[in-house]
Amino acid sequence: MRPALPLILAAVGALLAGCGGSTRPACPAGELCLEFGNTGDLISLDPYKGGTTSELQAVGEFFTPLLDTAPDGEPVPGVATKWETSPDGLTWTFHLRDMVWSDGVPVTAEDFVFGLQRLFDPKTASDQASQIYAIKNSKAVNEGKLPLSAVGASAPDPHTLVITLEHPWPILPYYANSLVMTPTPKHAVEKYGDAWVQPQNYVGNGPYLPVSVKLGDKVVARKNPRYFDAAKICFDQVSFYPTIDAVSAERRVKRGELDVNTRIQSNRVEYLRRPGQMPDYVRVHPWVGVTYLAYNMRDVPALKDLRVRRALSMAIDREFLTKKLLRGGQQPAYGFVPPGMVDYKDGPRVDWADWPFEKRQAEARRLLAEAGYGPKNPLKIDIKHRNTADPSLVMPAVQADWKSIGVLATLTPNESQIAYEAYRTRDFQVADAGWVNGNNAMDYLYMQRSDVGTQNYGEYKNPKYDALLDEADQERDLAKRAEILKKAERIILDDAPVTATFFMVNQNLVSPRIVGWVDNSLDTHRIRFMCFKDAAARVAALPKQ
Amino acid sequence: MTVLGPELAPGTGGGAAGLPSAPLKGRSLWDDARRRLFRNRAAVAGIVVLALLVVAALIGPYLTPYAYDQVNKDDVWVGPLSGAHLLGTDSLGRDLLARLLVGLRVSLAVGVVATVVSLVIGVAWGATAGYLGGRVDEVMMRIVDVLYSLPFIFFVILLMVVFGKNFILMFLAIGAVEWLTMARIVRGQTLGLKEKEFIEAARAAGVSSPRIVLRHIAPNLLGPVVVYVTLTIPAVILAESFLSFLGLGVQEPLTSLGVLISKGAQDMELAPWLLIFPSIVMVVTLMCFNFIGDGLRDAIDPKDR
Repeated sequence: MRPALPLILAAVGALLAGCGGSTRPACPAGELCLEFGNTGDLISLDPYKGGTTSELQAVGEFFTPLLDTAPDGEPVPGVATKWETSPDGLTWTFHLRDMVWSDGVPVTAEDFVFGLQRLFDPKTASDQASQIYAIKNSKAVNEGKLPLSAVGASAPDPHTLVITLEHPWPILPYYANSLVMTPTPKHAVEKYGDAWVQPQNYVGNGPYLPVSVKLGDKVVARKNPRYFDAAKICFDQVSFYPTIDAVSAERRVKRGELDVNTRIQSNRVEYLRRPGQMPDYVRVHPWVGVTYLAYNMRDVPALKDLRVRRALSMAIDREFLTKKLLRGGQQPAYGFVPPGMVDYKDGPRVDWADWPFEKRQAEARRLLAEAGYGPKNPLKIDIKHRNTADPSLVMPAVQADWKSIGVLATLTPNESQIAYEAYRTRDFQVADAGWVNGNNAMDYLYMQRSDVGTQNYGEYKNPKYDALLDEADQERDLAKRAEILKKAERIILDDAPVTATFFMVNQNLVSPRIVGWVDNSLDTHRIRFMCFKDAAARVAALPKQ
Repeated sequence: MTVLGPELAPGTGGGAAGLPSAPLKGRSLWDDARRRLFRNRAAVAGIVVLALLVVAALIGPYLTPYAYDQVNKDDVWVGPLSGAHLLGTDSLGRDLLARLLVGLRVSLAVGVVATVVSLVIGVAWGATAGYLGGRVDEVMMRIVDVLYSLPFIFFVILLMVVFGKNFILMFLAIGAVEWLTMARIVRGQTLGLKEKEFIEAARAAGVSSPRIVLRHIAPNLLGPVVVYVTLTIPAVILAESFLSFLGLGVQEPLTSLGVLISKGAQDMELAPWLLIFPSIVMVVTLMCFNFIGDGLRDAIDPKDR
């Protein structure tokens, strides 16, 4: 046993050292590395295939879309430096800068045309495509009714991109800075096929490029030396961690192992703000996002019944969820469109919004009884939910609320991407989902259209609703448009294909060492605008915005 | 390992197959073992405390003023010893005492059921392989080796995929993995036992192989098996908490000690009682099992002291 003792002591010593000190991964000498807690894994590095906030954050660093996003979340010139609109608002012309892909091939307007065709190609099966159905013929192409070449995008010369629309769409710049409007490296896709998103084949035009991808561990990205503004990039390397457990991520941030984590477990915000904890790390800001439950109306007979859906929606105590359980500044949701829309104020609320909770419970029980469910024949249902911090807190409360009206719910937690994949294939009964898109009411309302594709998780179909949204698309007067959208929202509140539980806040933990992070209601943060405070020379070089 | 002759097989009042059963008045080896066990203070304390815990887990949940899944919206994160909640409440206002008792019940049930499954399969498999020997032994133990190489989590996930998420299934899954070690231990013991004279005698008397394994080999394996069982139960309780943490085990609102602790660890700074009380119960339970296991080993197998 004797020789073992020093070994054991050494092991214990190493363990203690590991616990006490920072286990920040080594950074190459002379370089600056950002350790970024990104909440979830990246299932796909294809800009058109991922849709979670984790994927948008990381893949957003690997590509520069038509427009870029300023630190405050607003669209600013990206690949396009300037643009103009035709008088009828149907044709947009973008002028592109000189830029090369990471393999040196020039980025041309043709890459955007190819990208949009690939986005709308039914074979790509992107669930992000429906956001920009305003582009001419895009919906028909996406449904396989027209050839890819019919998409309303053309490249008269390598530096000019012309986009034609179905209807006037003044908010296009708010989509032009998202991943759906990134160019696709045609030459790389033709060479490697679907494998072009493997790190060894990856071609991007963003400030960073992925060099190693380990699911469940981290994605390491290095500065792209061919990025047009590469000289101003502060961090040489960025690692994205799938920090599903927000509480342990918080401790890693505190230890200095991570510089940022994009999620705080809501009910800890108050605690973290206390002096001596991490008050200068906590960043809480209203977020244009809604958390909701979707009812599977395709496969679950009980949920086809409006009375059941209404009862379930009514029985959730949103005041308890937001004020007592989450306590992170979330607002109880009685509508579906979050506050903070640029084109839409004071949307409708559900008709039972102001009822006392007891009255809602009584009405819910009555509706369930009417639908044939009662103590002898209770409704049994499964809620599939994301296993991230807040859903894991909220779902047991929803379960308890439903139990008090006699509904027996089971919970099935899944990793976010797995859960969303299940929702897309309708493998759920009740789905817990969140949606953060933009600051336009349509960004939220379009999801319940019958023709939107996989994102209408519950397969709600209402021609009247679709017609109202079409009408709103054609309306150029913003006030009148808002009125039409309100009528549409009223319909989904009455029909309850989904029920919103609360409106989100974004909660980030950001080390005070970082400069250039600006809280914004879209929660988009481009890393090329950030740096460490102590790296003065690089801070001075940051792009001015 | 003290060899117990067939006359001293437990639970039968002596008398093995084929032999006339004479009532035994003197001190049997089992009496000795019992005396030695009860002289071991730690083991006795373990037995008493564990008995209390078992009783609490069985009837406690019916006595608490709150149900374990009852959400008390006005009592969120109430500390212990304040007002109506003896041990405080969690973030949903659920009474910790009620949850703790239910959690203990679930953990103990998982531990016992899984261990019984592993015991039955492991002893039968190991004793058969050891007794029959030869090629049968080779094949049976290679099967054990192969199963050993199967990653536990992978196996559990596979079961979940095939049979769906089911609480009972988890017991079986854990038991179905834990039996491997048991089978090895039992086989090793059996190899030694089957050369002993009383087995020879039984064989000469014409007792069939299954009966020899059941009546003569198995009872003599009791010592190491009992010890291993008391060590398996805590291992299973820990495995359950691990599975629950991964979302494969018990699900809300049901809970277990492991789940309570992992949730409590998250809220450690805000509501320390959510971590402290379940941890105490977990530690005490595991210590009881270990003390009892220790005591039993010393009692049944005094040579090891």
